[in-house]
Amino acid sequence: MEIELTEILEALCQHAPFNEIADDPQLENMVGETEVQYLRAGEWVIAPNTLNNTLFFIRSGAIEVLNKEEKLVRRMNEGELFGYASLLRGGKSAQSMRTIEDSLLYRIPARWFRQLYEENDNFSDFFELTREVRLRVAMDSQSSDVSLMTCPVVSLLRRPPISIHAEANIRMAAQIMTEKRVSSLLITENDELVGILTDRDLRTRAVAKGLAYDTPVANIMTNNPLVMDSGDYASEAVLKMMARNIHHIPIIKNNRPIGVISTGDIVQKESHGSVYLISDIFKQTSLEGLQAISEKMTHTFTQLVVADANTQMIGNAMSHIGTAFVKRLLQLGEEKFGSAPVPYCFIALGSQAREEQTIKTDQDNALILSDVYDEERHGEYFKNLSDWVCQNLDQCGYTLCTGDIMASNTRWRQPLKIWKQNFSEWIQKPKAEALLHLSIFFDLRGIYGDKTLAEQLNQHIRQDAQQHSGFLTFMARNANQRKPPLGFFRQFVLDGEGKQSRTFNLKERGIAPIIDIVRVHALACGSDKLNTLERLEDIEAAGLLPDGRAKDLALALEMIGIVRIRHQKDQIEAGEAPNNHVNPERLSSFEKRHLRDAFHIVARQQEFIKFRYAGKRS
Amino acid sequence: MENSFLSTKSQRPQDWQTMFEKWAEEAPKGPLKDYYLAGMISEKIPLQDTPLLALDLETTGLDPKKDEIISLGLIPFNSQIIRCNGAKYWMAKPEHSLHADSVTIHEITHSELAKAPPLSSILEGVLKALTKQVVVVHCVAIERQFLLAASMEVYGYPLYFPVIDTMGIERQVLHKPWWKRFGKPPSLRLDASRQRYHLPRYKAHHALTDALSSAELLQAQIAYHLDPKASISNYWI
Repeated sequence: MEIELTEILEALCQHAPFNEIADDPQLENMVGETEVQYLRAGEWVIAPNTLNNTLFFIRSGAIEVLNKEEKLVRRMNEGELFGYASLLRGGKSAQSMRTIEDSLLYRIPARWFRQLYEENDNFSDFFELTREVRLRVAMDSQSSDVSLMTCPVVSLLRRPPISIHAEANIRMAAQIMTEKRVSSLLITENDELVGILTDRDLRTRAVAKGLAYDTPVANIMTNNPLVMDSGDYASEAVLKMMARNIHHIPIIKNNRPIGVISTGDIVQKESHGSVYLISDIFKQTSLEGLQAISEKMTHTFTQLVVADANTQMIGNAMSHIGTAFVKRLLQLGEEKFGSAPVPYCFIALGSQAREEQTIKTDQDNALILSDVYDEERHGEYFKNLSDWVCQNLDQCGYTLCTGDIMASNTRWRQPLKIWKQNFSEWIQKPKAEALLHLSIFFDLRGIYGDKTLAEQLNQHIRQDAQQHSGFLTFMARNANQRKPPLGFFRQFVLDGEGKQSRTFNLKERGIAPIIDIVRVHALACGSDKLNTLERLEDIEAAGLLPDGRAKDLALALEMIGIVRIRHQKDQIEAGEAPNNHVNPERLSSFEKRHLRDAFHIVARQQEFIKFRYAGKRS
Repeated sequence: MENSFLSTKSQRPQDWQTMFEKWAEEAPKGPLKDYYLAGMISEKIPLQDTPLLALDLETTGLDPKKDEIISLGLIPFNSQIIRCNGAKYWMAKPEHSLHADSVTIHEITHSELAKAPPLSSILEGVLKALTKQVVVVHCVAIERQFLLAASMEVYGYPLYFPVIDTMGIERQVLHKPWWKRFGKPPSLRLDASRQRYHLPRYKAHHALTDALSSAELLQAQIAYHLDPKASISNYWI
């Protein structure tokens, strides 16, 4: 049985954008789900402040568009479409629509609009959107409304703060906490926050030590605790809790505490094991314990992906977890080998330094020693410590670096002055080939020990790099080494060199090129940031890129990144080892389309830096 | 309402529910009996809540005794929305030869019809679609008579159902007492009726397009003349 609503199909196909896509076989199916509605003059089609989930086609009649103040914006006639702006915005309509003549409307369900928009270039081009805007729209539609990324901490507050003045004793504090059923108490003086007291403090600092009940709370509270402003994002709270291994953060508005958020509030908001995973790591006293936790990491990772966390958040969480392993192993190492004879700083390189780690990662690390280091006297200690930490990191799933960029390698375990010399050598007399392998050293973060050593080195790098434009030319050239794929077909990928292959590497071909591009700009503007998105903010502020281009790169990174982590999540769920190789056959049309846009952006920006940092000779 | 006479009828409305019960007992076992057994909606249901089904037939001629149905289109709707999603369309192979002149009207070719099943085998599907729906047609005489004849031939028992006739509504809307009439009376044909409501002009004589046409016309008539809250018994015949 063939159902031909030819009248509707033909009417649509007389007008743009349908006339451009009249050969699309999907149109007939779309017509099959279209609804028809007759409205007399003067009736609302999209009333003010209502949600819209329909694309409207004016078959006959006329419509007027009103803005929020009910002022006339424009009139539309037969053959025009409306409602798509709100569909692109997730249903919220900024304008309202009313019939001004008797009208016959075709109501096309939103999902058809989205499908054609995703799959048919001629259709989406009609809506006059550039690739960049399209990607932005796509990313917006992907992020969930309830995400921690977008909700302010204040929205997590469940009650006004429970507080007590600083002179009160710990027994009174415990009574209030019991009565109000809270796990933390704010300590105030003249309405200003001076400290915080938690269940754990009462247990470890008072009961365990046998303090008298009348001890003032001021004696055991945490002074000047970390606070956040009511408008800060909940995601920042998660990151701060993870970074500092704390479970409560007071929220301040106009210098007064308005409440406390706890890990419990956050877990309630979004199932989120990472905060607990980190405190678990710090509780372990043996390698076996740490190994057991490392096995839970894939679960935490998939949980985050399922919870619609974005790549920035996942990268942050994974990096903080990775850092926690390093820190704990170093603490255990110092117990085993004794405390360090001279100050040192254990540094993370590459993705961990940028806080962009994902699930499958090998270790890239190094050690900066204080300049008082003496090979004869201290060499053996640091060799033992580094070997032990790197080997055990490998046991915890952070496999040994194939390029041997690890603290266990004597070459990467040097006093600060040697490190500075090394960098000056690389920057002042750049060699393309050598730099290719060294780029991760330009993403360097101190994660344990005397972090001022890492800061001094980073400062040295920034100064040197800005003074030597020739170095940037080499870095820009290297950032052009890995080209994004030119296109996807159903079963193969056309790579940047015009060769076909069955799979392609999302990291090599998409993520790494963006990181490389951003690193060059970051070095050029002397940014002290390491995270790619934070670097992009500095680059934008420094005016190194035309307007909007920094945002485009961020979106492209997020798009490619999200495909990568979803792919890895799918592999984990299928019992495979996660990797970066994606077969285009396994990508949805949504993913393909937006990856194409993202790669297009990457390719253009690669071109841009070639010219932006062109050397005197080629 | 602009035409208040439309909400009060001179005749007592038919009690379709009771009649369906009676016919359900009498009808021979099979699709027709099942159709009557499913019953009809209550006459108290407001027009705005009534499940409507626009129906149009194309036939080989105008005489139900000797002409035959060659296609049938259905489209479900209510007072607000017409749903293309539920649209149905059948072609039926006539048992007698197809008149050459009607072929040109219907844009259906001999070869298309030659491949179609006979009416007897599509009738069951049509009855299923009609179940508990109020049929909307433009000109009740044609559709009812042809379906009645078809039912008599296939099942040996009449098919009869409540109908909203957009032509009948249009006739009442345009009714004027004799002393106000002058000139040529306005046309009640589908296309002419639609134009009075500023509905677009469609190519006529495709059963599904014409069904859509009459569905749109009824929506417009409801918007202008009928009371959506009044019970269906005011409007069906």
